[in-house]
Amino acid sequence: MTEFDFTGLLTFWARRWDDILGLVVEHVTVVAVALVIAMAIGVGIGMLVWNRPIPRSVTIAAAGVALTVPSLALLAILIPPFGLGWTPTVIALVVYSLLPIVRNTVVGLREVPPAIMESAKGMGMSPVKVLFSIQLPMAWPVILTGVRVAAQLTVGIAAIAAYVAGPGLGAFIFKGLSSLGSKNALNFALTGTLGVVILALLIDAIFVAITRSTTSRGLRA
Amino acid sequence: MTLDATRQMLAIRQPPSPRHAFFTRTRFVTPLVVVLVLGLTLLWLSSLNLDSIEQRTLNLDYIVARTREHLGLTVVASALVAVLAIPTGVALSRTKSRVVRAIVLGLANIGQATPAVGVIILLAIVWKTGYTTALVALVVYSFLPVLRNTLVGLQQIDESVRESAKGMGMTRNQVLLRIELPLAVPVILAGLRTSLVFAVGVATIATFINAGGLGDMIVNGLKLQRYPVLITGAVLVASIALLIDWIAGIAEDLLRPRGI
Repeated sequence: MTEFDFTGLLTFWARRWDDILGLVVEHVTVVAVALVIAMAIGVGIGMLVWNRPIPRSVTIAAAGVALTVPSLALLAILIPPFGLGWTPTVIALVVYSLLPIVRNTVVGLREVPPAIMESAKGMGMSPVKVLFSIQLPMAWPVILTGVRVAAQLTVGIAAIAAYVAGPGLGAFIFKGLSSLGSKNALNFALTGTLGVVILALLIDAIFVAITRSTTSRGLRA
Repeated sequence: MTLDATRQMLAIRQPPSPRHAFFTRTRFVTPLVVVLVLGLTLLWLSSLNLDSIEQRTLNLDYIVARTREHLGLTVVASALVAVLAIPTGVALSRTKSRVVRAIVLGLANIGQATPAVGVIILLAIVWKTGYTTALVALVVYSFLPVLRNTLVGLQQIDESVRESAKGMGMTRNQVLLRIELPLAVPVILAGLRTSLVFAVGVATIATFINAGGLGDMIVNGLKLQRYPVLITGAVLVASIALLIDWIAGIAEDLLRPRGI
């Protein structure tokens, strides 16, 4: 049982500001690295399978299975081959990001109206050219929505990764647990948890801005 | 958690599976994969020479006890959430106040951004460690998503459907019980399914605050550097999550009212 002490929390923040900032930077970095890798893999897979029914349903089903596996279990399975720290964390986050990204890529590519595809073909574009210069730009907002969902997901999961010595704000949450009963336990856990919540909301806002600025001009409402 | 958002954002584009295609071949892929993976794990374990530490956890009694704790936590929490959140959602949907709804939806979104580890550990620090805390954390955590799905499910019903029900002379309660709730069932069930699967994951984390479950195996395996223990725990948790999702999927299809 720990009493809440607001001024204590403020002094705690003031005293450990550098630590907190360092963890925030780590947290954002690991999420960003994972998202970039997941985007490269996910959009690539999506572009390969979007018009092939069987590979398409198999990949999406596989990604769905991956998302169902609890995060601590997946992190645990990754420890024997990859050890502790950044590597298993990034791999786990990539695995969890794949479903929203692959799925939204496929949906986005398939949603391009057939009339537009026909006219592109009629203009003499090859299927690859149609994919890259017509479908991908039109699917972009949908793909980014997938990445945004993945970002929300991974910000939270990264907190658990601290248990396998992963980077980020989860370290504070677990420090709070391990110092249970001490004066700072609540401060540590509260700072870590609040930090993750604020980060998630900020990242979501950033994605709104990214979506607006990278969507092809003709598609903007 | 955001898994719910994922499902929601993606579910809109998912065509509902038609009723006649209920027992398709793909329906049995999940249990088949789970059985295969469990079999392989067993095979691998039997090929190992387990030392005394490993033998203490890798035996049937221990595993059954942990699995029972895990399932207990998951099922009790999900049942509590269903009993608490769905009626609250229905009650809230009766109010005309937009403010109340906006607050609930806003809170639900912030709640999704909150990491489950944070909630469960914070609660353990301010209250106590153990099963009850884990249960409360799980219920608190899943309450808002299910509540939100209930609200959204009731809200998305076409106004004209409600109007025609009223025009047929139905009272408000009849409209709710015979028109609105059946139409909202798919969305409500989707929320419950997500929270159920999610509860399996959070029940794993419950080991951090001494609430038992299969997370014990993962954490012990990690601390004692006994990878067979760790892997077995992880495989079991993953299998349970997949099977529960599979069962919930079947329930979802069976409970969906005919015609939707």
